[in-house]
Amino acid sequence: MSELTKQDEASQVDPEDASASPRKAWIKLLTDSTAFIFLALLAMLVAFTVLRPEAFATVNNLRNIAIAASILLVLSIGQTFVIGTAGIDISVGSMLVFAGVAASLAMAEINGGQGWTAVAVGTVVSLLSGGAWGLVNGLLITKAKLPPLIVTLGTFGGVLGFAKVLTGGINLRTVPTELVETLGIGRLFGVIPWLVILALVVMTAAAITLRFTRFGRYTIAIGSNEEAARRVGINVDRHLLKVYALSGVLAGIAGMMSLSRFANTTIQGHDTDNLQSIAAVVIGGTSLFGGIATMFGTLVGVFIPTTLQNGFVILRIQPFWQEVAVGAVLILAVYVDQLKRRARDRL
Amino acid sequence: MRSTNRVQRSRVIVASVAVVALLAAACGNGDDITDEPEVDVEDPADDEEAIDDEVAVDDEEYDITLIPGVTGDEFYVSMECGALEASEELGVNLDVQGAPVFSPTEQIPVLEAVIASGPDAILIAPTDVDALQAPLQAAVDAGIEIVLVDTTLSDPSIAVSQIGSDNFEGGRMAGAALGELMGGEGAAMVVNVTPGISTTDARGEGFIAELEENWPDITFLGQEYSDNEPAQAAEIVSATLAAEPELNGIFGANLFSAEGAATGIRQEGRDDVFIVGFDAGPAQIEQLQEGLVQALIVQQPLSIGRQGIEQAVAALRGEPTEPQIGTGFVTATLDNIDDPDISQYLYRAQC
Repeated sequence: MSELTKQDEASQVDPEDASASPRKAWIKLLTDSTAFIFLALLAMLVAFTVLRPEAFATVNNLRNIAIAASILLVLSIGQTFVIGTAGIDISVGSMLVFAGVAASLAMAEINGGQGWTAVAVGTVVSLLSGGAWGLVNGLLITKAKLPPLIVTLGTFGGVLGFAKVLTGGINLRTVPTELVETLGIGRLFGVIPWLVILALVVMTAAAITLRFTRFGRYTIAIGSNEEAARRVGINVDRHLLKVYALSGVLAGIAGMMSLSRFANTTIQGHDTDNLQSIAAVVIGGTSLFGGIATMFGTLVGVFIPTTLQNGFVILRIQPFWQEVAVGAVLILAVYVDQLKRRARDRL
Repeated sequence: MRSTNRVQRSRVIVASVAVVALLAAACGNGDDITDEPEVDVEDPADDEEAIDDEVAVDDEEYDITLIPGVTGDEFYVSMECGALEASEELGVNLDVQGAPVFSPTEQIPVLEAVIASGPDAILIAPTDVDALQAPLQAAVDAGIEIVLVDTTLSDPSIAVSQIGSDNFEGGRMAGAALGELMGGEGAAMVVNVTPGISTTDARGEGFIAELEENWPDITFLGQEYSDNEPAQAAEIVSATLAAEPELNGIFGANLFSAEGAATGIRQEGRDDVFIVGFDAGPAQIEQLQEGLVQALIVQQPLSIGRQGIEQAVAALRGEPTEPQIGTGFVTATLDNIDDPDISQYLYRAQC
């Protein structure tokens, strides 16, 4: 309660703080930039639909796009909070792999790796191990005062290394059938995949947290001006610890999603998850310099590369063009972010 | 107000650039990968179509998509070249789609988009024996014929044919070639890629089996992993040479493993250590010509691609198919590399 009051002070007392400048004005600009990127996504959807309607605009294909985006979305949600604090988390993909490996090893011990008990234990292990690595990141950043880029670059390699130590580098395949058949390939009412539902539920909760809770306000306040946040009484270190741990827990959730979708630990398949999630977050309109974060933007940002890839394949465009296009979209998005900031600074 | 206008104008610019980029990319396709520009299959009036129709044995032109394990790899590019040659002869519209990383997490979304685009058949090198099973079953359910090329599935029965080389046998050939180079005595080791890749694991196993059975006077020093990093392979080899000076034969199970092994030997100033490499892309051929590597075990990706198309077309025409085809290997050395019997199998960086 007392902290809530402090937060209120943060937005009123300190006139020097950028986050304390007229909130409405930058929220408006923020929504504008997200609206822009949303329109870009719509334009892509329309373009692909016009060019190959019978192949692109089918329920099945759109469902596949959503499934392909779901795991990255969960990782990118954690990344949105982290980047919102002006931090960065390079280690998300490695935490995902480690969580999946730990869960798979734990599940193998229970009932031969089958049954709901195994699924429950695996989920707990996955979330805990993801969260534990996130906490390690957070401690190194706040207590050892190391830059987030370096810390998570270190754990990016180190955590993946640990995962390989645990398995001898070989992909584990202990995944309960119950999990694969429900979360992995199952659908609600035979229509909406559970993977997509889970990702959207997590996203909705995260969007509410970011927008309407103290946790979200602290995140933005720290990202806007860490020193100002500290001065108005926010326990910055404790909050950053929570944010990096959250990123780890979400990587744990993504780890279970990946296990159930691919039915193995896909150790080799997550080397670029970090860059993909950072790109998605930034494309969505969250500022790489912190202080501006939008979950809806991240949702759109995840869908843009996924949709581009799908559409390019359907249009039979040489696969390398997709990498070019995603790179171009990323640079454009950051350019728009810069324009937005300049516009805001002039207000 | 001024700033708002600016932002709006820049948005318009950005949006237009995005659309132009998209269209440019759409028009830019076909030059390199597909054998002809993207033309409506339904449009019989098109000139190129008409020419193709004359060439085609069958009146119907099939759409076939090849999904390699990873894009930009010479082994798979060569497979693509073979598939392209066969496609031209059989009047097939070939498209190639793939992911830049060898992993099911990257390959499955590509496969799903390919299925949505509705080809008649898919040639695929599955990046995981289990993870690709369900998505490929979905392709079969959609009425698409599947041919497995290079790698395979836990249950390959959903495919009309599987074509690839027996990597265990390739490993045995590497063992035999190295055994001969070493004169049947000394000590040998394997520098492999990373555990868990079915093809390179099988190469290592085949190599070890050959040494155990046929080369009793060669001491086997074990298998190390380079993680596909030449620097790491070099370190492994120079450390092993320091510890075991009798080492005189190394099997580098892929390009970077062999390259790193050669670097390690040079570092230690040894010229009496033989290396056998695997595959025959331009880089490996260069290694052979420079004398860094004394023999290469060469697969036949062109033949895999060619037969893949032939099997797919046979299945589409309702003709019998061969469920399993094994393509062989040849051993390339500096002496026989220019011999057409060998040079025809060397890999290509582009068709």
